[in-house]
Amino acid sequence: MSKDFSVHVEHITRVEGHGNIILDVKNGKIEKLQWSVVEAPRFFEAMLRGQHYNELRPITSRICGICSIGHSLASLKATEDALGVKITNQTATLRRLAIHAENMQSHILHIGYLAAPDLFGAGSVFSMLGKHTDTVLKIVKLHRLANEMSDLICGRTVHPIRLIVGGFSLHPTEKQLLQLKKRLIEAQELTHELAPIILSVADNLPSFSRETEYIGLTSDEEYALYDGNIASTDTGRHPKHRDYKEIMQEYLVPHSTAKYAKHARDSYMVGALARFNLNSRQLHPVAKDIASLFKLKAINYNPYMNTIAQLVEFSHSIQDSIDLIDVLVDQNIKQEKPVKPAKKAGRGVGIVEVPRGILVHDYTLNSQGYCTKANCIIPTNQNHGNIQKDMEKLVPEIINRPEKEIELTLEMLVRAYDPCISCSTHYLDVSFK
Amino acid sequence: MKKKIGIIGLGNPLRHDDGIGLVLLRYLQEHKKKLSRTIELIDGGTSGMNLLYILEKYETIILIDAVDFKGIPGEIKKFSVDEIKSQKIPILLSTHETDFLTVFSLATQLGKTPTDLEIFGIQPKNISPGIGLSPELQKVLRLLQNQILNEIQMKSGP
Repeated sequence: MSKDFSVHVEHITRVEGHGNIILDVKNGKIEKLQWSVVEAPRFFEAMLRGQHYNELRPITSRICGICSIGHSLASLKATEDALGVKITNQTATLRRLAIHAENMQSHILHIGYLAAPDLFGAGSVFSMLGKHTDTVLKIVKLHRLANEMSDLICGRTVHPIRLIVGGFSLHPTEKQLLQLKKRLIEAQELTHELAPIILSVADNLPSFSRETEYIGLTSDEEYALYDGNIASTDTGRHPKHRDYKEIMQEYLVPHSTAKYAKHARDSYMVGALARFNLNSRQLHPVAKDIASLFKLKAINYNPYMNTIAQLVEFSHSIQDSIDLIDVLVDQNIKQEKPVKPAKKAGRGVGIVEVPRGILVHDYTLNSQGYCTKANCIIPTNQNHGNIQKDMEKLVPEIINRPEKEIELTLEMLVRAYDPCISCSTHYLDVSFK
Repeated sequence: MKKKIGIIGLGNPLRHDDGIGLVLLRYLQEHKKKLSRTIELIDGGTSGMNLLYILEKYETIILIDAVDFKGIPGEIKKFSVDEIKSQKIPILLSTHETDFLTVFSLATQLGKTPTDLEIFGIQPKNISPGIGLSPELQKVLRLLQNQILNEIQMKSGP
């Protein structure tokens, strides 16, 4: 069937920032298909230049209201790498708890408030109230717990204040941690009640598959979030973290104000599904149970399953947090002074996994401890190219469907990546001719 | 039991005047002794949906934020939720397209809103990316600080 139609979605709803989908079809053939990011660039790196190293973490924690803990940790790791700071085991354990808190906050926000309306055939979370109030209340309860966990570990639900160079400014007490543990145990039960509800509408996730490369951190010790080596499903482990640019090859495209990235292929994907595809064997058994419920197995090439991988990770983060609290209590958590820098100048690279994927901060500090050069690689940048390539394979497969269905399927694809477009529009030193 | 008054500074300090709510909140923190003990000061930043769990904790809430109401840069205007709704004034929380009214509506439907909520909007001049207030807001900052402190003292009592 040959037909003419256009799908122009300006400013996709339920994603952060402004991204457009442009699809023009003439006589049944695709004339134009473009995922474009049109938001003005934000110049994070320029804001960091000239700042003292103690200011870098507070500034970067304001880049994003969702990934503020992740930006803080990447920033601290980069600063500490530059200044030769070796943090204590207690700090490393608390930071792992902090990253779990953020993963939980962000994943349940995406699953519950942003992706669930598509699955339940509702326009928004408001439309879910009434028929699905009980499900919304479960989501609200889980989101509230994740917030309170961030508050306890980081001193705020967002834009943390207790994370500082060399350690923490204030530590939670044993009593507070044990109270949190009790609530995490309840949250795990609630998550296992939520999973079958999501499963009951999971048929609404499009069955689409496109082989691509997945990149994330990997570690022999754990399901890597806070620490590890960069790894690719195509090329394996890349041990030198300071050479991250060999893997994350950023480039510019004319129709976008955000950078794109590629490595072994035209594009790659980062985020929960990438981590699952790289490291699923290290998930906690209760999280593996949820993966099995959805028949999610590595390597899964369906980007729509990223939301399900987030649910699996949500369960893992709860369980690993319970284990980490046990470690802190067994080792008699105490107030520790932050470790002081061993030197003033140097270059440091900090890499962590944040909810949307692998995040890099790279700083050069001068002998007075001021930042002279900075580079941040944001997860969503790394996914833009993959979204475009997915669309190029997907549209011919669904081109004969009604236009509204094509539009929704494309919007759901973008939402599946849980993009943070505002964060991704941050390039610098670009000359326009 | 709900606490009495929550004062929430909102905004992004990496977008010039968008950070005015946080600048004024910091001033209140520095002068906390002049404020009623029933007041809690909260840095809401760009916290989006997290605001849901702040709204449920207080009987009275005052939001301080940069609001484009087409006024003179630095001008303060007080709004009720109904005024924000009827005048269609956007208070974007900057995360995942979450605006304040979305969060407030959800809180209302879940039956968890404060009995009294007021928004102190400050007209920004420049909300492009960058650190520091615009010269226009810098010029009137001391006035803004005094005005906010007075307003909150009047609202909360000693």
